[in-house]
Amino acid sequence: MELTPEQQALRDAVADLVRRHPPDPEAGTAAGREFWRLLAGIGAAGLALPERYGGAGAGPVETAVVAEQLGRVLAPSPLLGSAVLTAQAILATGDTDACQRLLPAIGSGAAVAALAWTGKDGGWDPAAAGCHAAPRAGGGWTLTGTAHYVLDGDTADILIVAAQMPDGGIGLFEVAPDQPGVEREASPSVDQSRRLAVVRLAAAARRPLGPAGAQAAAGGTSGRTALARARDLACLALAAEQVGAAARVLELTVDYTKARVQFGRPIASFQAVQHRLAESYALVTSARSLAYRAATASAEDMPLLSRAAKAHCGEVLAKVAAEAIQLHGAIGITWEHAAHRYFKRAHGSGQLFGPPARHLAEIADLVI
Amino acid sequence: MDLDQDPAIAAFRAQARAWLREQVPDPPLPAVNTEEGFAAHRRWERKLAQAGLAVVSWPEKYGGRDATLGQWLAFEEEYYRSGGPVRVGQNGLFLLASTLFSHGTPAQLDRILPPMATGDQVWAQAWSEPGAGSDLAAITSTARRAAGGWLLNGQKTWSSRAAFADRAFGLFRSDSEAERHEGLTYLMFDLRAPGVTVRPIRQLDGDPGFAEIFLDDVFVPDEDVIGMPGAGWRVAMSTASHERGLSLRSPGRFLASAERLVGLWQRQGSNAASERVADAWIAARAYQLHTFGTVAALEAGGTLGAESSLGKVFWSDLDVRLCETALDLLGPQAELDGQWTASYLFALAGPIYAGTNEIQRSVIAERLLGMPR
Repeated sequence: MELTPEQQALRDAVADLVRRHPPDPEAGTAAGREFWRLLAGIGAAGLALPERYGGAGAGPVETAVVAEQLGRVLAPSPLLGSAVLTAQAILATGDTDACQRLLPAIGSGAAVAALAWTGKDGGWDPAAAGCHAAPRAGGGWTLTGTAHYVLDGDTADILIVAAQMPDGGIGLFEVAPDQPGVEREASPSVDQSRRLAVVRLAAAARRPLGPAGAQAAAGGTSGRTALARARDLACLALAAEQVGAAARVLELTVDYTKARVQFGRPIASFQAVQHRLAESYALVTSARSLAYRAATASAEDMPLLSRAAKAHCGEVLAKVAAEAIQLHGAIGITWEHAAHRYFKRAHGSGQLFGPPARHLAEIADLVI
Repeated sequence: MDLDQDPAIAAFRAQARAWLREQVPDPPLPAVNTEEGFAAHRRWERKLAQAGLAVVSWPEKYGGRDATLGQWLAFEEEYYRSGGPVRVGQNGLFLLASTLFSHGTPAQLDRILPPMATGDQVWAQAWSEPGAGSDLAAITSTARRAAGGWLLNGQKTWSSRAAFADRAFGLFRSDSEAERHEGLTYLMFDLRAPGVTVRPIRQLDGDPGFAEIFLDDVFVPDEDVIGMPGAGWRVAMSTASHERGLSLRSPGRFLASAERLVGLWQRQGSNAASERVADAWIAARAYQLHTFGTVAALEAGGTLGAESSLGKVFWSDLDVRLCETALDLLGPQAELDGQWTASYLFALAGPIYAGTNEIQRSVIAERLLGMPR
């Protein structure tokens, strides 16, 4: 798929920023925030939000363009969790008051938002949540339970919680992250460049999210629809990020095999090496095609194609990163070379937003 | 072949199992490639030695109990099944010792083996160099004649255990004029000798499992040369595929992993990936049975040559596959640090060290299938 001149300019701007301010995958929150402010400065944080909420009104392709560039360098950034997953969930609730209050800060990069959703099973099912909502005497809601794998969950300024409603539906709630009864703890993940957290709740919700006039009756299908929409868009962004990571680690591997001499010749001249890298290249090419095709899908096709893209691109990154480790030899199993970071990103991101096996089963149900 | 049909094996197995059940540390020792963990693993080796279980297949006078290969296999199965600590001395126990049994002088055996068996001397290997990995014969580190011995110069790398070990062994170029497989000498040296600098290298699990070794006029006495000067390549290769070497990697390790995988699958209580779990278990059993066949052939007086490459490719790929299947069963929890993740990161090195699987496949093609180079 050909990018438009505007999309190419966006790609080049992000690539240039990354070149001038190389992100450190092991950097702490403060350094990560600084990089995010720079990215937001070129409009990356509010890209896919409507202009009326301070965004650029662009779509999933533009988000994919940015995510691919960030994936190349494994930049730790709240793009996936804050700008895509949480912002799109808020937007999809149709709650104009919440959108007006929260989205401009998320889109400008001034605030980072997190969505506490899935339970320990990590299923990311839009009809299920790790927390439960119960009505409080005198009005309002109390949320209890634990959400896992919460992106940026321990440091976010804005916390949105998906909760199972008494009627069995799903509601989305805004929760003050620093109030008593909200416990947030970083989860030690394999991939150090992605922050995950556990969020434990026994607290009052600030307010439910929903269309005007319907907040009091939060729940039913609206929360579920919002989560499904947000997950589809997050899967698209993740797939593009995986494409970027796979493309970059393949480049590093090709360069290494051309430079490394054994038996008097570059190891890139051995067919055993060439065929493996040719195979990796074919995989990256198919992954990129699927990721960008899915980003332009109609609303009807998006649930299918976003999951197909995420499952395929995750598998491709895992294979290409494993090949990178093997073909780098001993340097590939050290901390000193970047290959292990790509491998760990593949490992961690393969499971994010739902295990590939579940996505494949859902795809099978839809197409067979 | 059922090992336990031999009553001597069955009895020894029972004895080892009982001892290990009592003694294997719980909780496990700290990670071996840390200063604290290394010391703890050293103490464990001493404990094994005191029980006569450190080097079961060695002659009694060096600390062993003259066990047969069958008894050794049974011991290894029990060791891994019990979750016993990583053998911190493995470079010495399984590589250097094999070389010494074939090429060492009686004086070398008497001097080197007993402290190796007790963990008092832990050995690192020093094969690879920056320019000599798969192409091991490209070694450029030198051994130069000096009064009463040799002076070593150059750089070794990816030296397993060198960050905390006491001594190391490897090949050095002692004759720069000779053809590249000639003129190499097999030497042992002290990692704390003057002129030695060790720079630990962090592996992808974050711990320094190997190191670079810089050698600057390091003196080695003649008594620490193994075999004839200039014959190092033949000495190294004749034992690279030794029956107790890395190439005959104990099947017990993979059987134990396969059993843990089956346990995980049972606890998950779903049918997900059941074919892959079964497949991994079958592969571990196949490797065990293949090894039994090899052992039977060796005990009948045979030798292990290029066939050892088959085993290396098989077990190293199997190890990765076992871990991948476990992580898929764990699903999203695999994103978080855990025992299977640690095993996976360790398993990734298997297809690389001791000769990459690409090299092993070339050996299989050339020497077992007779294909042209």
